[in-house]
Amino acid sequence: MSSRNQSLRLAALGLLAALVAATALADDPLVYATIQPAQILLGESAQFTITNLGDGTNPITMPVVAGLKFEIIGRTREVQLINGTLLPSSSIVMRVTPQIAGIFTIPAVTPKAQPLVLQVNAASSAANVPHPNGRIAPPPPPPPPILSGASIPKGVRLTDDGSAYVRLGIPKREVFVGESVPIEIEVGMRSGFVSSLNGLPKLSDDNFALNNLSHQPERTEKLINGEPFVLLTWRSTLAVIKPGAFPLSAEVPLTVKIRTRPKQQSSLDDRFGDPFWQNLFGATVPKDINVTSPAQELTVHELPAQGRPADFHGAIGTFSIASDVSPTKADVGDPLTLRMRVTGSGNFDRVDSSMLEHFGQWKTYPPKSSFNTSDPLSFSGMKTFEQPVIATKPGVQELPALTFSYFDPNTRHYETARSAPLSVSISPALADSQVAPQAPTTGLPENKYAAGLRPDHVETAATSSLMPLYLQAKFLPVPSIVVLAFAAGWASARRRRGVGEPEPDRIASRTAKRVLGQMQGAARAGDAVLFFDSARTALQSVLAARWQLAPEEITTTEVEGRVGAENDIYELFALADEAKYSGRNLNATDFARWLRVVRRHLVSDKTT
Amino acid sequence: MNNRMRAALVFSLLLGAVAVHAESGPTDYSAARLYNLANSYARAGKPGMAILNYERASLLSPNDPDVQANLRYVRASAHLPPETPDAFDRVATIASPLWISWIGVLGLAIAGASVIAGQLSSRHRLLRGGATLLGVSMLGLTLCNAMALWPRFHQGVLIAASAPVRVSPVPMGDPLFTLPEGEKVKVTAEHEGFALIETRAGRAGWIAHSNFAPIVPR
Repeated sequence: MSSRNQSLRLAALGLLAALVAATALADDPLVYATIQPAQILLGESAQFTITNLGDGTNPITMPVVAGLKFEIIGRTREVQLINGTLLPSSSIVMRVTPQIAGIFTIPAVTPKAQPLVLQVNAASSAANVPHPNGRIAPPPPPPPPILSGASIPKGVRLTDDGSAYVRLGIPKREVFVGESVPIEIEVGMRSGFVSSLNGLPKLSDDNFALNNLSHQPERTEKLINGEPFVLLTWRSTLAVIKPGAFPLSAEVPLTVKIRTRPKQQSSLDDRFGDPFWQNLFGATVPKDINVTSPAQELTVHELPAQGRPADFHGAIGTFSIASDVSPTKADVGDPLTLRMRVTGSGNFDRVDSSMLEHFGQWKTYPPKSSFNTSDPLSFSGMKTFEQPVIATKPGVQELPALTFSYFDPNTRHYETARSAPLSVSISPALADSQVAPQAPTTGLPENKYAAGLRPDHVETAATSSLMPLYLQAKFLPVPSIVVLAFAAGWASARRRRGVGEPEPDRIASRTAKRVLGQMQGAARAGDAVLFFDSARTALQSVLAARWQLAPEEITTTEVEGRVGAENDIYELFALADEAKYSGRNLNATDFARWLRVVRRHLVSDKTT
Repeated sequence: MNNRMRAALVFSLLLGAVAVHAESGPTDYSAARLYNLANSYARAGKPGMAILNYERASLLSPNDPDVQANLRYVRASAHLPPETPDAFDRVATIASPLWISWIGVLGLAIAGASVIAGQLSSRHRLLRGGATLLGVSMLGLTLCNAMALWPRFHQGVLIAASAPVRVSPVPMGDPLFTLPEGEKVKVTAEHEGFALIETRAGRAGWIAHSNFAPIVPR
């Protein structure tokens, strides 16, 4: 009995608590907001939902965040059962589309609620995209803290309605053509007054080119002169195209909310500075404007021609170099890699080097380069040149110091950075070595090639080349001399024989010399018989060969019949017969005459 | 041919031989030394260098049975296909290139002498014809030897354990395929430390000079 009474008391207490809670909820309606997902890529959208639990009389305001676009896509009404109490609820579903990447803080829909954070990553940012293996990306970082105490930067002015400003930060010095100048563009947008950013900043002067302007500016929030501002900061480099003095400013397209009431009547709105109050009273309309930074003059000079190094390729900035080679020990013909690292800041796109070209006993190839930047602007970092080199001679070789020339805009002079020389040990190539390799160490198993080899030979005579002797230049004179000698011999034989000369004539010619010698001897002895006998014998031989007769057939009668009685040959044959049979003697003059006659017929071969 | 011409010819030959010997310079290669070097490389487990030096030794001493036997053995141990010379190669390399060089000169002299003898006398036609034929045959043997050896003057042997054959003659060129150590390749062109080679199977590509060695050093 007592236990049943106790149960009834507990049930009564629970009912009383539920009634109290329901009454409290009814007295203090709940408004809350959610965003799904909290992290998206640029180009995607998130769903932002504001739910009002209660009678629906609480005002729901559209949030205004610079860089985010809110669009209402639906409204719902339903009844929810909370702690046993039926409560009506209404929701507004909005699509949130970011216009830029960054971390955005969406203001709380009520003063008691907490702000929401939406992280928008650039589409190309690989760091925050979902991991291929399905792991969940790390949670978004906390929103940046709101800094207080800041003021409008010096030299910068707000728009007339005080909603935004643009500041252009450039170096306070003169620059040079070709130089990459780091700049900073800061856009300040007053919270609740700027509804969207309609494009990227651009420069007002065409004599400059803006490089590497990122779609992901740095986003911070500050209280400037007591008003909340969202600051978007782009950092980039300025490419200077031509010399001169140019006014330079930056321009940003924005959509701001313009007051529709006089400023005196809307002072309360400004004092609160909250979109809730502006929307509540309907005091503004959107308007597209271009906000421009104050113009600043930038003086650009040509690079000086005096003192320009031969290897200057247009690099402007501050650089230093270092070099190394790997490996430091190699064989002749092995490729080595020579590296030169250029470190510093400046226009790295003009940092170039041909490194070593046609250096001594090295074979060099064109280098390749790669650049690792240490900032998003590619203004600072390290450019590495890698050049394959091949040693052609053995020994300890030294690679010379590498140089790199650039123009320093601070000193206004050309500078040449130098690296230290490098030493490399080069061994002879294996194929050129005549030294026998070491045999395997005793105790180790012999390799498969050694087992079936035939034994070594005894050293024999050596030669200077593996090329056959007949293909060596030094051997060429031998066959040449042989050929020339035989050519000369052949020509000599041809000359001695005479072209077309019959062989019997050559024999007669040799006989003629002997006969003429005998005749001269007979003349000196006064022997006319021997003289004419020798002459007749010689002429018989010559005439026999010519007339195709036997020499004994050449008689005085035959000669008379062929050449006639007036011919001196016939006369000589007649005198020979006379001297033989009558013993006629001749004087010296006659001997000389008939000797000339015979010589003429035998030697000069003028017989007819 | 009289006595003075004969004397001039003999003097010319002697002069040429002396000139050849005087210009021979340092003597670096001998068949025995290359054979022993190849044996040393084989014992050291370097088949590429062993095959290279056996090939060089066989150039100087083509009919040395030990050189041929060890070359065949190392090639087989390195899993390289055997090489069998054809009949023409066997005849053309019947003697060493050194002897064949002088055989050619002698053949030239015999043929020349027989031609000159024919100019001087019409006798002994048969003898002169035989001498001319002998001289021309000796010259032909020299020519055949050159034809048989000519391809080997443009061949090289892979001396690296695994040599990449690249698509272009630069160290960074993309590799096409790799060749085993000891493989014999034909060299068709050279460029900046690289050689364009062609394998027995007809594949071609560029290989670094450090990975192969020509049979006849340049």
